[in-house]
Parts: sequence; C-alpha cells; structure tokens
Amino acid sequence: MSSPDGAPAAAEAARDTKGALSGLRVIDLTMWFQGPVAGQLLADFGAEVIHVERPQGGDLGRGVRSIKALPVGDWNQYFLVINRNKKSLALDLNKPEGREVMYRLAAEADVFLSNVTVENLEKWEVTYERLSAINPRLVYAVGSGYGHFGQITRPSFDLTVQALTGLMMRLGEPGQPPIYAGMGSGDAMGGLMAALGIVLALQARRRTGRGQFIDASLYGAQLFLAAPSLQAYLATGDQRHARQQSRRARRNPLWNVFPARDKWITVCARNDDDVWTRICGALDAAALRDDTRFATAGGRREHTADLTDAIDALTSTRDAAEWLARLADAGIAAGPVNNLAEFAEDGQAWANEYLLRTHCDEVNREVTVRGLPIRLSKTPGAVRSLGPELGQHTEELLVDTLGYSWEDIGRMKEQGVIL
Amino acid sequence: MSRALQDLVVIDATTTFWASLGVALLADFGADVIRLELLPGAGDERMTRGGQGRGDGAGWDYEFALANRNKRSIAIDATSAEGAAIVRGLLERADVFASDRQLEDLRAIGCDAATARSQNARIIYARASAFGPEGPDADAPVLDELAAGRTGMMPILGQPGEPPVYAGVGPMYTAVMLAYGIGAALEHRADTGEGQDVDVSLFGGNIYGASLDVQAYLAIGGERFLQPLSRLDAGNPMSGPVYPTKDGRWVTLTMPDTGRYWQAFAQVTGLEVDDARFDTHEKRCEEHRLEMMGVLDDIFRTQDADHWRAAFREHGLSGDVIEDYAYPANDEHARRNRYIVERDDPGAGRVKTIGFPIFMSETPARLRSAAPALGQHTAEILHDLLGRDEDAIAAMEMRHVIA
Repeated sequence: MSSPDGAPAAAEAARDTKGALSGLRVIDLTMWFQGPVAGQLLADFGAEVIHVERPQGGDLGRGVRSIKALPVGDWNQYFLVINRNKKSLALDLNKPEGREVMYRLAAEADVFLSNVTVENLEKWEVTYERLSAINPRLVYAVGSGYGHFGQITRPSFDLTVQALTGLMMRLGEPGQPPIYAGMGSGDAMGGLMAALGIVLALQARRRTGRGQFIDASLYGAQLFLAAPSLQAYLATGDQRHARQQSRRARRNPLWNVFPARDKWITVCARNDDDVWTRICGALDAAALRDDTRFATAGGRREHTADLTDAIDALTSTRDAAEWLARLADAGIAAGPVNNLAEFAEDGQAWANEYLLRTHCDEVNREVTVRGLPIRLSKTPGAVRSLGPELGQHTEELLVDTLGYSWEDIGRMKEQGVIL
Repeated sequence: MSRALQDLVVIDATTTFWASLGVALLADFGADVIRLELLPGAGDERMTRGGQGRGDGAGWDYEFALANRNKRSIAIDATSAEGAAIVRGLLERADVFASDRQLEDLRAIGCDAATARSQNARIIYARASAFGPEGPDADAPVLDELAAGRTGMMPILGQPGEPPVYAGVGPMYTAVMLAYGIGAALEHRADTGEGQDVDVSLFGGNIYGASLDVQAYLAIGGERFLQPLSRLDAGNPMSGPVYPTKDGRWVTLTMPDTGRYWQAFAQVTGLEVDDARFDTHEKRCEEHRLEMMGVLDDIFRTQDADHWRAAFREHGLSGDVIEDYAYPANDEHARRNRYIVERDDPGAGRVKTIGFPIFMSETPARLRSAAPALGQHTAEILHDLLGRDEDAIAAMEMRHVIA
C-alpha cells in the first residue's frame, strides 16, 4: 500500500504554500461525519478551522472503536482524517463562561459551522440570531438533518435519511435487500454541500459586507445525490425508475458488468451493429455474431436476458486482464471492477493524490489517507497534520487569538470550562 | 434580491448531465452561466447527454432542463475564424470556464487551459475528467461506470453471491466538487487577483463518496473489506442493518452508541432490558452480535413498516422505513424546503424537478429561467458581452458562424 515510484511529492511542497482559503477562520462545532467533513474541505484549502469539542471525551467520533465489526486499529482514522488540518478547542458550552469564550471567538471568526441539533444550539445560546448580533459578517452554516423549514427534530443519521430518499430501494437486483450506497455516503454529500454553501456565502459577503444563515441538510443533499434516477421518476412517474432493475433486463445489454473468471469487468458500449461486431471479435464469439436473435440493435434489446447470459458464459472462461486487453484493442470502453485492495494499489489514484502518505503523531509513523479530490493548480490542498488531540490548541487560541490571560486560563481549567 | 454570485460570468462547455448540473449550481445562485454550444452538430450533441430515461414519453427533456436551468445559450461554429474570435472574446470576458471535454476537443475549439490563460490571466479554468489530470488514464473516456469500477466499492455493496452494484452516485459528488472547487478558487482570486486551474474527476468523486469505507480499509485492511457482507453480519445490530417487515418493506437503524437507546429499543422490540445476551454494548456488538441480528430479523417481521416508524418516532429512536421515490416525490417537507419544486414547463405543463439543496437566508437560489433553447441568447450575448452590433451579428448568422 505504498506510493508507487514516481508519484509526485507535491503534497510535501503544498504544506508550505498558501491555501485558497488562507486567512479564513472557521468555528467548527460539529460531530460525527457530516459536519466535520465540511470543515475538512475548508481546512484542506488552508482555512484555520477550529474544532470545538466538549471537554468530556470530545466529538463522539473520537469514540469509534470498531468498523464492520473490526477493531479500528491503533489510530482512530475515522476521526483523524475528517478532522485533519484542524485545531481543537475543548470548551464546555453548558457553562456561561464557556459560552463567553464562544462569543469572543465568534467576533473573530468568518464562519460558524455546525451539525449539532437545534436543541443544543439553543441550549448553548449559539443560535444564528445570537452570533450574528455579535458579528454581522459571520457566515453561519448548519448541516441539519431534514432542512430549515418544518422543524423536524428527530435524530438524523446518514442511513436513516438515505432510507427516505428512495435511492436504496432502486439499487441491486430485484428481490435483494435495499442497498446502502456506502458508509457515510450521504454524510459526505451533506458536508460537501455545506462547504459549497459557505464559499457561496463568502462571495456574497464580499459584496454586501454581511454574513447570512445557510442550511445544507442531509435530506436535501441526498435527494441531490439521487438526482439522475430521482429526476427520471419525478418527470415520468414511471415505477421502473424507482425499482431495482435486473442486470439481465437492461435496455442496452452491452452496457453492463460481466463476470470474468477472476473478477467482474464493466463494458460501456453503444448498442449498434459496428460495436457489436467488434465485441464479438474481441470475445472470440463467432457463434454469437451469427445468432440471428442478436443481429440487430432491436434484437439485442429484445433478447437482452439471453444475450446477457450468453456473454456471461463467455466472459467467465478467461481472466479480466485478458478480456480488457482484447476489448481495448477493439476500441471498446471497458474496465475492471476492482476491490479496495486493488484500489489501494491503483497508480492513477496516487498520481492524482487521491491517496496520500502522511505522518500520524498518534502512532508516530506514516499512514495512508484519503487525499485531495479537488486540485487547485496554484493553491493546492494539503494534509499538514491529521486530526488534533482533544483540546490541543485551547491555550494557544485563548491567549493568542482571543487575548485571555494565563490567570483566566488557570481559572477556567479549574472550573472545567476548558480542558 | 441580491444573489450570491451576481456579476460572475461563467462559460459552460460541459456535455454530460452531471457536469452541467454542477455548473447549474452556480447559475442557481445568480451567476451568468453561458452554455457554449458548438456548431455544427450542437443539436446532436444535446441528445448524447445524460443516459437513461430519455425518450420515455415524459414530454420534456427533463435531464437537460434540470442541468441547464438558469443558463443562457450561445451557439457558435468555433472552427471558423470568426467563431474562434468569439470564443476568444468570451474567454477574455469570463470569470470562469468549466468543461468536461477531452483535452483534444478543448484544443480544437481554442479552449484549452493554456489558450484560455493567454486570453485572461484571471480566469478560473475548471475541468472535470474521468480519472484526474495526471497519470496514465488522464485521457480516458468520461464514463462514471469505469471510474466507479476502479474505486473498490462495487464488489461489496450488494449481498454475497450477487453481481457488483453500480450505485451511480459518483458523478453527483463530482458535480458539487466542481462547483466547490470553483468557489474556493474565486476566494483566492478575490484576495490576489490570480486565476488558476480547478480539476475534479469522476474517480476523485467516487473516492470521496466512499470516504469511510476507503479510509477504513487503508487503515485496517483485511478480507472483510473485500467481500460483500451478509445483511445479517453488520458490525452493530442496532446500526447499519436493514430488516424486512411483515408487509414486505424494510426498516433500518442507526444507533451507534447502543447504550443510549437500549432501554427504549428493548421496549419497542419487546426484548427484555436485562436479557443476559444483549444487556451491554459489548454483548450486543461483539459476543452476541450475530445472534442479536437473527433475533431482530424475526421481530421486525412481525409488524408492518408503518408500525415500526411510529414506534421509532414515539420513542426517539434513530430508525426509519426504507422508502422508494414515491416518498420524496410526495413529501410536503421536501417541497417546503424546495428540495423538490414544481414549475410550469412550456411543453409538459406542471412538472416536478429537483430543487435546491442549499438554503441561504439572504441570497437564496432562484429559478429565474428554464433551460435555454439552442442558441437562444446568441445575439444578446454577442451584443451585451462582446459589443458586436446588429449588422455584424446578422452577417455571422447568414454565414452559419452562429445560430
């Protein structure tokens, strides 16, 4: 799982260059994944992102001990990767003095980002009304569960919201259980939407001089995630777009996954006669080519199940690499269906810094992390540090940024306001 | 009302549904997004956009309509000298150029990064590719199925023994990353005056969407991440699995810290709170994990989905029914938050479409105009943006330089 030879070391150089969002200060009062990953997208591009956590145990994401029934390992990658490049401020917002610290921070910040519940924002007196009164320039961003209007306050986790969008019910073969699009797949979209909302609000602020309230909810983001098939359903009302569809019933049987002997491959080919002839050549399939049922595009569509079975029978006789080479020679777009182990060795991912090696202080060694999916040529993102220890930057922020004295720090520590 | 991206001029040379939709996010928030449509053959090109659902009798091209709302359209033959001059003029005038075309195609129309930059040092040049700008697959065809196949997730989304699952979500992440990357670059430009290149890809989008699985594998490794898991082999019986109900529907649960919910959960499911098999988090998630999933599988089959939804809500449990698209399509809450909106389409009448995933209190997204007809705004753009006079425009129309 190491970086192949010749992969660029741009990440190293980028640590010292200015980020696109340098100079921006963000209060990141978030937990679990949806909120933190929004902050991560800002922090990767150089914003000073301050992860505010309760002194008792911090962000609940720090408590993740296992994933898929496997121990998480000696470093908590769940927390450390989505909170990379951030500072940690351990602050008890249940105490008035803790809230006072928050208000002083809000006065010095550009962005407030949160995915905690509305009840907690109210209890801690860090509502939009409160903070924007202190700092009218503050962009106040919430990643709620279900949206700003309608006051749905029930718990909102990725999966329980994804369940409502309809996406899960259309994935997989008919009769199979509904399929979750991947751990945190909806949270990832929610966080990305919040980050987009924040840069939009920053653009608006440059003109108006004022911040505003924004909400990028899980539900809204996940409905967008489902857009290709959801829009088809909305437009047509056709149940076909809402239901699971068999790979043996595709309208274009040549655009599908097929089993090779060792693994599956994907073929993306138009259903026309020239392409069909080339596919038959690549598959050494004279019998298929001569089968009158499959001689025309209409015939292939009409007999899609039979054709799929016939191609399956052929492709399963040889390994993927051989088929992919033959299909490439025939000018047919095709590729492997890799597993995560193969992905981790994929030179293309390393060449583009979608995978990176970085130092992990917690275990004092290099680890592999999910890298930088958005590349900016002059102000590239960077992984400068993995997630902070709980309260690691509390004193630095209170003294240097907010002007508290060391006496104040001592008193607040004693009273449990800070860690 | 003020708009977030007021006065921003974006040249949109995208061709796919998802990339066009990414640029539409900028248009929704007020940018002047100009679709650059290339003659001849621009009409054919429109038909290649998107994939499924086309021609199924909806009466309107809903993919094009969604992905190009709030945009203007200019149609140009960029291979002619006059057309090329217009393209140069647009690049000179634009704040942002966005495309998902192959490098070769961009060079052919004078819209590659170097040419754009030579026209306009401040321009933000954004490109969505299949596999990213570096590496051996930099010029691969822009097909999400191939990118998704390389990300490692397709083999493990379904049940054991089932075909790999193509979820089709990668392009949506990529679309939003395109818009976000442009936004970050605009911030930098506002501070420094400096434009730059923004690159996103379907591969990067798929990887981002798979963040937690990818990162967990990178850190933990092992066969368990490479094989599909049975639905009754989740890491936590109360967080992640799906269970069938009596009426043939499904419910799912997300209660990672099971202790917090256990009392109420036991009550709702009829389990004993002090059941010695399940009365601690460790027993539920380790020793008796599989047994508990089996027990719950039987329990959830005893009642209809609606019963479970009501019980979860009454007791503040994090669980819900797995719905199909009829639910959001008819959900008052989705309508109220404008996640799904209704509008009047000239051809199809009252239609429903995806709305706006981001709420902004002062500069909200708005539907100002429907997707443009091919070349609908050619004359006004040439006049307003590039200062061409009526006679020159008419002459170019005669020579088929524009349409």
